[in-house]
Amino acid sequence: MIDSILLVDDEDLFHLVFEDACSLLDMTLSLEALNSSDEADKLFKQWFEEGPIEERPECVFVDLNIIGSSFDGIELIRKINSDYGNGVVIGIISSSDDNQEIEKAKAVGAQFWIIKSDEIEPRLEDFLKDYSGYEKKTAPFKVYK
Amino acid sequence: MINGKDTVEEALRKAKAKKVFLEGNFVKLLAKSLPTDVKAYTEECKERDTKARRKRLEVNKRVQSQNKELEEAAVVKEALVLELQNALDDAEKLRDEAVEDLDLMQKRTQFELIGLIVRVALIIIVGVGVTTTLLYTTAMLADKDTTILGNAWSNLFGILLTNSFSIIGTIMGVKYATEKNS
Repeated sequence: MIDSILLVDDEDLFHLVFEDACSLLDMTLSLEALNSSDEADKLFKQWFEEGPIEERPECVFVDLNIIGSSFDGIELIRKINSDYGNGVVIGIISSSDDNQEIEKAKAVGAQFWIIKSDEIEPRLEDFLKDYSGYEKKTAPFKVYK
Repeated sequence: MINGKDTVEEALRKAKAKKVFLEGNFVKLLAKSLPTDVKAYTEECKERDTKARRKRLEVNKRVQSQNKELEEAAVVKEALVLELQNALDDAEKLRDEAVEDLDLMQKRTQFELIGLIVRVALIIIVGVGVTTTLLYTTAMLADKDTTILGNAWSNLFGILLTNSFSIIGTIMGVKYATEKNS
């Protein structure tokens, strides 16, 4: 089970879907969902500069295009990995399967790419199986289709 | 009511008695070493929570899928509106072209008619001029009385000249007015 998860996605309905899917799969007991990359950026900056670092989530799922934010999910991942000390399992959860974007995400340090669809649970289940590898940074980048 | 002095077990028993079932991940935090009756209650809570979540998940997925369909339909609608607008623009362009062609055709017909009138008028003018001149010349050569014929000839020439100027003036006027309109 993952200690804590942070979801950054502009779609409120997906927050509910993700929360219920995580609960049914016993993925985590602590899930926080944010609507914008700016909010997530602010939180990570605060945890990095002022702490407490323990409050930082263990795993972060970021949407690719976050409407109403100053920057997209890939830029958020770059900021977390480069500016705020890395240290979290992080990846994209998006309905897009654009290869160019996937490569861009990989380049900034995303560890996985989950494609959103009606059947999200099997993908999350597969992700959970690989999770220990992501935690140890030994698992290669993977796209869950 | 549950109060601050109640132990977890007592609180759970009170909730059970009131048929109030716990929801959310809090249920998953409850240890499995609870007394059998309390454990049975927490298990039921878990079961109910899972059932409710599964139902909510299905409903939310359906709503999500419907939203997606609506968004796609909106995109298609927008494309159709754009296509319709383009077709309307094309139709308007064609109509304008047709109106222009019709106008041009009407003008052409008018010019042709004017040309015909001018030709006929000129033929008549020249014909009458030539005829009277021939008559007058013949009368003069034949040494006949030319008083009446001479007056008629000069009157006729005066009238023909006036009329020809009038025709030319009319034609020029029509031409000028048509050019100004177009």
